[in-house]
Amino acid sequence: MKLNSIVLAIMASTALAGSAWADDTIKVGLSGPFTGGSAAMGVSMRDGVKLAAEEINKAGGVLGKKIELVERNDEAKNEVGVQVAQELINKEGVIATLGYINTGVALASQRFYEEAEIPVINNVATGTAVTAQFKEPNYVFRNAAADAIQSRMIADEAINRQGFKKPAILADSTNYGQLGQADLTKALDKLGVKPVATEKFNVGDTDMTAQVLRAKEAGADVILTYAIGPELAQIANAMAKLGWKVPMIGSWTLSMASFIDTAGANGDGAIMPQTFIQLPTTPKRKAFIEAYQKKYNVDRIASPVSAAQGYDSVYLLAAAINQAGSTDGRKIREALENLNAKIDGVVTTYDHPFSATDHEAISGNIPVMGLVKGGRVVPAHAEDLDGDKALRVKPKS
Amino acid sequence: MNILAQLIVSGVSVGMVYAVIAFGYQLTFATSKTLNFGQGEALALGALVGLTTINFLIGQAIGTFWAYLLMLPIVLVFGMAQGAVVEWLGVRQAIRMKSEAGWIMATIALGIIFKNLAENIWGRDPLKFPSPLPEQALQIGPVRVQPMEIAIVVGALALMLAVEIFNRTSIFGKAVVATAADRDAAGLMGVNTSLVITFSYALSSLSAAFAGVLVAPVTLTGASMGAVLGLKAFAVAIIGGLSSGIGAIVGGLILGIVETLTGFYISTGYKDVPGLVLLLLVLSLKPSGLFGKATIKKV
Repeated sequence: MKLNSIVLAIMASTALAGSAWADDTIKVGLSGPFTGGSAAMGVSMRDGVKLAAEEINKAGGVLGKKIELVERNDEAKNEVGVQVAQELINKEGVIATLGYINTGVALASQRFYEEAEIPVINNVATGTAVTAQFKEPNYVFRNAAADAIQSRMIADEAINRQGFKKPAILADSTNYGQLGQADLTKALDKLGVKPVATEKFNVGDTDMTAQVLRAKEAGADVILTYAIGPELAQIANAMAKLGWKVPMIGSWTLSMASFIDTAGANGDGAIMPQTFIQLPTTPKRKAFIEAYQKKYNVDRIASPVSAAQGYDSVYLLAAAINQAGSTDGRKIREALENLNAKIDGVVTTYDHPFSATDHEAISGNIPVMGLVKGGRVVPAHAEDLDGDKALRVKPKS
Repeated sequence: MNILAQLIVSGVSVGMVYAVIAFGYQLTFATSKTLNFGQGEALALGALVGLTTINFLIGQAIGTFWAYLLMLPIVLVFGMAQGAVVEWLGVRQAIRMKSEAGWIMATIALGIIFKNLAENIWGRDPLKFPSPLPEQALQIGPVRVQPMEIAIVVGALALMLAVEIFNRTSIFGKAVVATAADRDAAGLMGVNTSLVITFSYALSSLSAAFAGVLVAPVTLTGASMGAVLGLKAFAVAIIGGLSSGIGAIVGGLILGIVETLTGFYISTGYKDVPGLVLLLLVLSLKPSGLFGKATIKKV
């Protein structure tokens, strides 16, 4: 009993001290992989977030306070992500967290935020289940294109737009690959097409001859992929080795630097859904690209999609805090679900992006198809970004 | 028919990489009846050192092909040093104490340390290794093959042949053979058996490092690239027999070819299964391996 009360007293005093310190800043958590196979996405996302936070702070911050980012590397590992979540919530006392590149890490970590009633905005992880983990009140939001959207776009591009009839699906054996493969098969089925081959490989496999030959022998006229950079490059290289060239259309990971750089010329022509392509098609995009290039001294953003979505997620959060007039998690969630301010973002203009039942800011009409060309991602169909079509906005529900 | 030939060619090239690593397992087993379970990490370290060296040489305006050749001796020397360190830190004590399992834990632990070291120096991202040969595939009869795949087969055979010739002709090699035949008797005849064991570890890691720079141009280089290869090569060493050089080659070829054939004719999801089934079959029917000599342990 006595021990308990001492512990309580210590906890209360540290909590008080914590809040006294936090008075002049608002702490926002940032969780992503900054090393490892997903690092290009994690680092681009982080840099986009930092850029936006800096701009907001320069303009006076939110509620008169500066945003302080607490960055933690979750190494794309579920168990590290869980530790990071607990540290950010209990030790750092963040009022919201941005991030997550990996669906698995997001699914493992979000429980703690839900229990603590602290909002999470997923700005990169695409697994369809990410925002569907909890019932109302749901503290998990997302401003990235979910796999359900991407798989529909991939199927539509291959079958309707390019007129292929015999797709083969190549997916890795991780959750990401297998869930994506299931989504893709479903999307193809809706169009009345059955894949002629469905092949699998492990992360780290070095020889894709068997998989690619099977697709070739099944008479595939297009390869649909759900995997990550290095293995996607092995597929492109195996096709080149076998002297067989059919188009590759797949999830947005085909825009990863590890695919583009490793596959080199063999990767040219790969097509994938993108919420943002590094082109100044709107004034906001132009400003963002120039600011990013200047601040980080790069020409090509390693993962433009991650950077843009990271950048937008900060503005969404800041608008919600301003509207709530408080850093209370519940009030921020309510504000996010009914955002009155129109936010002029890089990806799109957010006009009531979320509701109590819909936590996805990106709708199926927003992403366009990108194409790998000479080491960069360019629009696959230039007309998609012509004139006012450049800015695609979520339809009002 | 064309497809079968194509699959076999791919299988052979993968299999020869397994064979070189398995050969490394055999070298230490012959002299000391111990194995380096950090072979996969030795392979990754060799490839990463090779990557840094070749990039430095290319930076000195040396063409990729010559840079690759110049890089080889450096990687081989590094591999030998790394193997000697493993023996010195992990195995020597266990042998002196006649410990049955101490070296297993020690070599695994050293492998983990080397992997973490590599992650800290080179990062966790898979890196591209410059290819010394054109990456354009060649058409040979019905089969298309990358020049580097041919180089893997030739290089692997050359290395194993060189080590065998060294063991059979040089005086030091004869000491190795003598130690392998009977360590106690060799010791009584004046052979410094502890030095021979150190040397066999050095040769073993040399093979692994060489396999690393052979396979790196067709895959990606990274601290974890050796994990799967090291494990598969261990299966190859068991299938072929831990005491037979020919066994390593045949075992490697069997596993490599069976893998690609299963991937194509049965299902890519079951690619790894037949190799393991084969491993279990060999262990239950001929535990010393297809080419191994049965050893009788007298108590």
